[in-house]
Amino acid sequence: MGLFLGRSLILLLGLFALPTLLGDFWAYQLGLYFIYSIAALGVGICWGQAGFLPLGQAMFLGIGAYLSGFSLVHFQDSFWLLLLLPAAALIPGFIAFFIGLLVFRGHLESGPFFALITLALSLLTFQIATNWVDVTGGFNGLGGIPGLPGFEGFESLYYVVAAVLTISIGVVAWIIKAPIGVIWRGISENEKRLTFFGYNTAFLKALAFGISGVLGGVAGALYAPHQGLVTPNLAGFILSAELLIWTAVGGRKTLFGPVIGAILVGSLTAELRDVIPIWELMVAALFIFVVLFLPDGIAGWPERLFQRVFGRRLSGDKVNLAVKIGQKSPELELASCSLSIGTVDILNQLSFRIDQPGIYCLIGPNGAGKTSTFNAITGAVKTQAGNITLDDELISGLLSHDVAMRGIGRKFQVPSILPNLTISENLRTALWGGRCSLMDFFGYTPLNWTNTINTDLKERFPFLIEENKPAKELSHGEKQVLELSMSLLGEPRLLLLDEPCAGLSSEETEKVIDTIRWIRSTFDSTILVIEHDMTLVKDIADQVIVMHQGQVLAIGGVEDIQRDSRVREVYVGVSI
Amino acid sequence: MDPIAVTIALNIIYEITTLFVIVLGLAIVFGLLKVMNLAHGEFIMVGAYAAYFCQDQGWPYIMAIPFALFIAAILGYLIEFTLIRHLYRRPFDTLLVTWGLSFLLREVIELVYGKGFQSLSNPIPGSIDVLGEPYPSYRALVMVIAILSALVLWVWYRRSLTGARVKAMVENPELARAVGIRVDSLARHTFVVGTCFGALAGVMLAPLTRVEPFMGLDYILTSFFVLVVGGVGTILGLSSGAGVIGGVQSVVSNLFGETSGYFGVLLIAILFLWLKPNGLISRS
Repeated sequence: MGLFLGRSLILLLGLFALPTLLGDFWAYQLGLYFIYSIAALGVGICWGQAGFLPLGQAMFLGIGAYLSGFSLVHFQDSFWLLLLLPAAALIPGFIAFFIGLLVFRGHLESGPFFALITLALSLLTFQIATNWVDVTGGFNGLGGIPGLPGFEGFESLYYVVAAVLTISIGVVAWIIKAPIGVIWRGISENEKRLTFFGYNTAFLKALAFGISGVLGGVAGALYAPHQGLVTPNLAGFILSAELLIWTAVGGRKTLFGPVIGAILVGSLTAELRDVIPIWELMVAALFIFVVLFLPDGIAGWPERLFQRVFGRRLSGDKVNLAVKIGQKSPELELASCSLSIGTVDILNQLSFRIDQPGIYCLIGPNGAGKTSTFNAITGAVKTQAGNITLDDELISGLLSHDVAMRGIGRKFQVPSILPNLTISENLRTALWGGRCSLMDFFGYTPLNWTNTINTDLKERFPFLIEENKPAKELSHGEKQVLELSMSLLGEPRLLLLDEPCAGLSSEETEKVIDTIRWIRSTFDSTILVIEHDMTLVKDIADQVIVMHQGQVLAIGGVEDIQRDSRVREVYVGVSI
Repeated sequence: MDPIAVTIALNIIYEITTLFVIVLGLAIVFGLLKVMNLAHGEFIMVGAYAAYFCQDQGWPYIMAIPFALFIAAILGYLIEFTLIRHLYRRPFDTLLVTWGLSFLLREVIELVYGKGFQSLSNPIPGSIDVLGEPYPSYRALVMVIAILSALVLWVWYRRSLTGARVKAMVENPELARAVGIRVDSLARHTFVVGTCFGALAGVMLAPLTRVEPFMGLDYILTSFFVLVVGGVGTILGLSSGAGVIGGVQSVVSNLFGETSGYFGVLLIAILFLWLKPNGLISRS
């Protein structure tokens, strides 16, 4: 915290010294680009952290500016301004948050839909601003906006802008290092995986968009008194595009990238646009180049160097979380669940019930519907008929993160991890799932959370201790183990494992089997395993469920199943 | 027949058919290659400027068609070869790069022609009688061409060998390559066909609209909403999407003004995303 404030203070003093060094003209120009860089910080959060593309970011700047300009014109020197100006900054944030909830709700996508909706909204804002002449002044804009009381004139306003920029950078620096930053980066890597840890990713993305909306609103609230005139163009397409370009060139994934991009490219453009006719063409080409070849922008390399030299690792006492596993063994029931895609029946009146702790092996030939059963239980697909209940509560129809919150964990057949995050970030993401409150997301204590499973797993699989290694550098077997560990850390009451030993060496297989047994015996939990290897099944299964053509063919102990003639018929292909 | 009803009906049909023409190129590229080409609107713009160039030179308007196709094909090949082909499995980067391209194309046009509007004269002035009402001939021709092109494309895609190869590529690129289909060149041609349809739309619409560097922006948005509502991959879905979006836009705009029309379309797109995420008609 001290280090944090110290750095911010140095930055602030540096910015305060600039007008004396550069003169009034630059104080005015820089003031404007500082304002833009506050908004660009928001683009950085959305695009660089959470991984969705806001194409219409200027609308929040525009809304903030109109609100602030309107307040300054009509409530000049009134104490109401103390209330109205913060509101001008916050209202765009709420608008952004609700737009985010509306658009992200119920489907996992960060692609064209969100981007084009924001673009359309920004054009809509432009149209409203142009047509609502009584309030906005129409195309000519809202003019004659007085300065901030006490800071009239851009010379003195510069210091306010510099201070707000410093605070904004500080806040963003805090947020992206906090758990929420890790989760956002996780969402941009593999959103689907996070929903199975219990994260409501739509809400968390809307939160990112809301925060970026506040940053846009803050910038707008300062823009109005700085320029004295707000026109519809401020909310429109071109500034939105420029914000994106600045953020890309500066470095979307870095803290200072958006700021550096806005100040550097922005003021260079203002200077050179009329001197070099093809300047904007060059900027567009630069944008494409940076997107393809330099995802960290120009700030990437210096910022990493700075982190290496001055960055200090956060350290604190480990907080051991209480174990919640095994509190109540789950009662899972599937009642005549059917699922078909086109003319193919995937699940056909599937029914079974599990109400005792233990290891249940789900076996059956390819295409029997084993993985689809997992998908149906975890809410990844909706069954067309039938009910799935957990402890007599209906869970079919719930979204994946709601199902996960009820204590169902899942490991995928192909290891599904967060490749560009470090091993420790992968493990933390799993550990925080379902445990972090909204407050926890923004504080640093969860970074020190651990639990007994975590400690034990690191003893069993020493590679998990290499905290700072990106997960994508692990071998296939290690990825399998990492994902298994992640699904264990959430301490699910019901654990679904889809071929946990696929592609493992015999040594690794032994360790994984040992771990599954350990979880089973220590926490008395219920584990459902899809497995093809019959020796393994014999080894671990308390009960075996045989599936065939979307139905349960047989259920029972290993020996009963081996004697069952119908099962042999399915596997061997002859009637006996 | 009630003359007002006829005029309104014709206007709505006009709105829907032009929308269909506008969205066609985007739908081909997105539906078959999974590339969301945000520069699609700019290809329409390039087509419109090509038409303007032809008229400015005093050439007959029909010359604008080969000229615009020529330019769009060259641009399409260049862009596919230098950028898009590296990005077929990176949808997010495609989005960004084509967005940057849209910027680039706009800037090029601005450098040559400036920011101002260009207006073209109507190549077929006069009107014809439709159900007893006079209707501008050129608009009528545009409607007929739009409907014909939909039919031709539909028949071609179902019947031709190339159509079958494209279908194979869409279903499973690796397998298609293994049975001897040249997937890379097929993808390139598909992309170029998409850009050419964009330019063709530009030529058709240029005399009816204001030709300016930013005209592509509206086109990409409405086209995208048509895809969201109609669903990707079928001509029927595309037509119904164009019907819903074009219908809502023209009806709401006429009743409550342009801004409301815009807002209505936006709301419908969001509703569809919730209730029918695959659109009205999706290829299963």
